[in-house]
Amino acid sequence: MHMRTRRFLDRAFTSAACLAVGLMVLFLLFVLGPIFVKGAGAYVFMGTVEHRRMMLDQFDRGNEERVTAEWLDVQQARRPVYEALSAFEKELPGLPAARRKELKPAFKAVREGVAELLGPEPGEPLPALTRKMYGQTRWTKAQEKLKEIRFEESWDYSAGAGRKVLTSRQPLFDGTALAPLFPLLERDARKLLRPRLTFYPRFLTDVSIDAHFFGGIGPEVLGTMYLALGAMLIAVPLGIIAAIYFQEYAKEGPVMTFLRSCVNTLAGVPSIVFGLFGLAFFINTMHVSSGKSVLAGALTLALLVLPTVIRSSEEAIAAVPRAYKEGAMALGAGPWRTILTVILPAALPGILTGIVISMGRAAGETAPIIFTAAVSVGKMIGPTEIASQPTPALSWNLYNLCTEHEAVNEIRHVQFGMAATLVVIVLALNLVAILIRARVARRLKG
Amino acid sequence: MKGSEHLILSAAEKLQRKILGLLGRSLLFAVTSVAALSVLAILFFIARDAWPFFRDKGVAAFFFSTAWYPAHQPPEFGAAAIFVGSLLVTLTAVALAVPPGVLAAICMSDILPFSVRQVLKPVVEMLAAIPSVVYGFFALTVLAPFLQDSGKWLPGGFEISSGVNALNASVILGVMALPTIVSVSEDALQAAGRELREGSYALGATRAETLVKVVLPAAVSGVFSAVLLGIMRAMGETMVVWMASGNAAQIPKPWYNLLQPVRTLTATIAGDMGEADQMTGSAHYHVLFAMGLSLLVISFLCNLAGEWIVTRQRKRLRGG
Repeated sequence: MHMRTRRFLDRAFTSAACLAVGLMVLFLLFVLGPIFVKGAGAYVFMGTVEHRRMMLDQFDRGNEERVTAEWLDVQQARRPVYEALSAFEKELPGLPAARRKELKPAFKAVREGVAELLGPEPGEPLPALTRKMYGQTRWTKAQEKLKEIRFEESWDYSAGAGRKVLTSRQPLFDGTALAPLFPLLERDARKLLRPRLTFYPRFLTDVSIDAHFFGGIGPEVLGTMYLALGAMLIAVPLGIIAAIYFQEYAKEGPVMTFLRSCVNTLAGVPSIVFGLFGLAFFINTMHVSSGKSVLAGALTLALLVLPTVIRSSEEAIAAVPRAYKEGAMALGAGPWRTILTVILPAALPGILTGIVISMGRAAGETAPIIFTAAVSVGKMIGPTEIASQPTPALSWNLYNLCTEHEAVNEIRHVQFGMAATLVVIVLALNLVAILIRARVARRLKG
Repeated sequence: MKGSEHLILSAAEKLQRKILGLLGRSLLFAVTSVAALSVLAILFFIARDAWPFFRDKGVAAFFFSTAWYPAHQPPEFGAAAIFVGSLLVTLTAVALAVPPGVLAAICMSDILPFSVRQVLKPVVEMLAAIPSVVYGFFALTVLAPFLQDSGKWLPGGFEISSGVNALNASVILGVMALPTIVSVSEDALQAAGRELREGSYALGATRAETLVKVVLPAAVSGVFSAVLLGIMRAMGETMVVWMASGNAAQIPKPWYNLLQPVRTLTATIAGDMGEADQMTGSAHYHVLFAMGLSLLVISFLCNLAGEWIVTRQRKRLRGG
């Protein structure tokens, strides 16, 4: 082969390889980007006057006087909207039958849209569902609703694939009492809702109100913490003891080989199978609780992370220099004392790294807790209820909110907020692990 | 010399120490066994709850029939389409992930300078650490609408009826399998050793030639076990396929049509357990354990294959 071809192939290969690495980095950004950007929207957003009213009513937060004054102003600004609606309602029976038939459904849609945008009309009885008591609390969502009022959405299938078509409703109502409503909504939307930059850090700890329409993700965060900490409390002692045994006591032989390959196999068991096992063993056989509970979930998760804890602890113990052990032995320490006072302290950073990474894994796992611990709707549970109560958890509820919730599209910000929170928790734990490792590396070098 | 008395142990003390040591040792051994043997407990309890299904309904229909109608009277539990769904999604994911994964591993172990590698390692770890439900959420809310729209841009105005399909799940599963493939292959490439590379360079080979013709063949068993681990990761994954694959118990027509929805074993277990009566133990409950058992057996086989490859490689290296 020509030198030139060989060199060309070499270059091509190098760039393909670098491209693959670039692709990987790109994937990471592509996945995390939207989740972080939109997830931040749960904590920082343009909140409307409805948000402030809701916070005052439901959480007793905010300056009552100021919110009330603002509310009175807003009601003043909204008066023309409601006047147009009621004027048209009076006008409607007098219209010709054909026109009435045409306008009635459109009017109904507009009126419902206004109720969704601004909340129930003044003088109406208070709706039973909390979600209907207020208008749009977030400005971005309010703008979507505004568009839904002003335009009718239909699908055009003439080109094969369906295409969304928006037709303005305004021409339909030309000449009626409702006509001024459309320019009013377009022009004065800010006056009607008063969007303002709002920080809502307590999204992390607040309870949710009316199936996550309002409020935060406190119960889920708490549940995830219980499950992750509980799993580690069970897995860490077991894992470290097993690691010590494997590294310091075990004589190589068929028994040890077998136990080792058992641990390896455990690491490969699919997570959903752990869930099945948790259901069949911890709940239906051992009856650790009458139904799903945090305890059953933590036990299941503990099994799941056990191989990781064992392996990382083993590696850390194996990395302790032989001289440490020999030094301790030479000073007359027995094997127990050597392990407890010399080997474990020296291996501690490595063991911690494994623990922290496993905790991140336990916090993020969903499949093992579906049958053992997780419920879709739940309160914050106290530490005493761990053995008897199921709990909501970030991972499970993220699934639940974006697939099974009755209004998936209305609560996108909660879903993204939950996803971002979960990712931040898990990545923060991983970052801790990376920092510990870097420190150990520096210490070994120094 | 007061302390010297303590250094010499009486026979009783020696015996006491010995007994204590032995006790401690057996305690450690007991705990270790519990930890290690839990995998056998898993196998036992899954098999125990799967057994009634195989006893009552037989094996043939489960593996070879595509009629999955658990809610009918009488119910039918043919899982062939679900097995095919799992297989299709897993193999596509691995096929998508292996070439970039191995290339990225080569790049990280041999091409990039050490400092860049130090930055990339956390990137791989982050990709691995992102919870599967978050990947599923991404597949559902970002990738699915994108896929659905992308049909318009393709030549001929291709119509993609739904963004949740086998392709979506495969792509995401591929991304999830990527970190495993990269890090295990990279370890294997590193383990191939410096001498091998230097020898090849000394003979005048370019870097690409060295890597493809010398290093990769030497590391092939490691790369193979990386692929196996990737398969296991993709096969056992639940949330992504549950959220992104469409969950239709059918074999796509034609079978390679990835734009149709499929249903996998893991998603069926996760999705149907709520309907299956958990306590009384209906056939629907037991069939889900039969699926769990199948998954378990597949993962055991993959593990055995992996260990076999590693031992064979070790023997080959020892043999020179």
